[in-house]
Amino acid sequence: MANDREVLREIWEGKIPVCFQLDSEEVCELQAPDPFYLMVSRLSYFPLCTDKVRKHFMRHIQLDKQENEMWLEFNGIPLKWHLPIGVLFDIYSNDIQLPWNIVVHFDKFPENVIMHCHNKEVVEAHFLACIKEADVLKHRGQLVSSMQKKDHNQLWLGLLNDKFDQFWAVNRRLMEASNNDEGFKYIPFRCYTNEDKYIQKLVKPVSEEGQRKTLKHLLNEVFPDKEKVQVQTHGIMPPLETPLQWLSEHLSYPDNFLHLCLNTS
Amino acid sequence: MADNEETETGLCLEESTKPEETPDLFAPEAGAKNLETVISSDNHTIPGSEAPSSSLAKDKTKVDILLKATANAPIMKKKKWAVSQDQHIGWISEFIKRYLKLDANERLFLYINQTFAPPPDQTVRNLYDCYGTDGKLIIHYCKSQAWG
Repeated sequence: MANDREVLREIWEGKIPVCFQLDSEEVCELQAPDPFYLMVSRLSYFPLCTDKVRKHFMRHIQLDKQENEMWLEFNGIPLKWHLPIGVLFDIYSNDIQLPWNIVVHFDKFPENVIMHCHNKEVVEAHFLACIKEADVLKHRGQLVSSMQKKDHNQLWLGLLNDKFDQFWAVNRRLMEASNNDEGFKYIPFRCYTNEDKYIQKLVKPVSEEGQRKTLKHLLNEVFPDKEKVQVQTHGIMPPLETPLQWLSEHLSYPDNFLHLCLNTS
Repeated sequence: MADNEETETGLCLEESTKPEETPDLFAPEAGAKNLETVISSDNHTIPGSEAPSSSLAKDKTKVDILLKATANAPIMKKKKWAVSQDQHIGWISEFIKRYLKLDANERLFLYINQTFAPPPDQTVRNLYDCYGTDGKLIIHYCKSQAWG
């Protein structure tokens, strides 16, 4: 694992240029405010990096809407804040040109489409729940429950403050295979088939004969009827012969899941 | 709370035969709309709808879920339900809230394996595939955070 630390670094440093614009119907002045540009981390979540966006647009909307929860939209679709930004980008990548144009709203919150997120603690709870679920799959939940509250905090603060070393000092324990030959019990992954659907199954990193399985095996198990399936994650298409255990240890998001987007192009 | 809960019927069958027991489910809300969808899709899969409950349980489009109360949460009179596999966990949460007549602003936490809270857009199918045991998916619910 230590030899591949550079891979972890590269993944950590993945960023996307975003151009935020206020919905024209919500502008309360004659002239629309300037767009707001940000480089956002693929691994982060929108509520963690859009405080400045909110501040920038707040004074350009009606006074009674200023305390409303801000939400984001791309191409007419509300963006789910609880997915990492890189996952959203990969899901919609066919329609995106850089910079990624995102519309900012303060009005008409799409109640049935996205969850509320009144503060960052909501993101934290969701993030830690994902890590716990991933550990149930990897180690029957034993590792995460043996950790202390301060370890959970360190994972969260590492992500929140973009501190690679802080995050990985704890996360490396979660990414250790309990048994070196066999790896994790199951590989935590979600495979997105379209914008609001994903498949999650139990897939082991080794076959019954004890052979290391690859991404190709996983895709065969998830899509038994499809041939030549390709998936995208972190903006790249990992080779199908990539060993699953390695993929899980290195290309998982901070929530400890592999987020694979079915490539339809 | 013990495991001797009723196992006889599914959500749809009970809805169609004994509607008077769960009138709140027909409230004109988003979730109720979903419920009607479930019922109508059921009618499609079982033409004639004379089928006994045992064949409902074998309906491949449905999954049995077992809802267990934890800590301060009220117990549900009927704990076992057959739910469409495509249903989201957020919908189940709304369903329990309505069944227990909780206030809209009261919070409800759902847990799998007594360990983690699944995201609201997670489907029953995915959870059953990963965490189902003995042909059913056990979901614990609670009015405060039970397992962090």
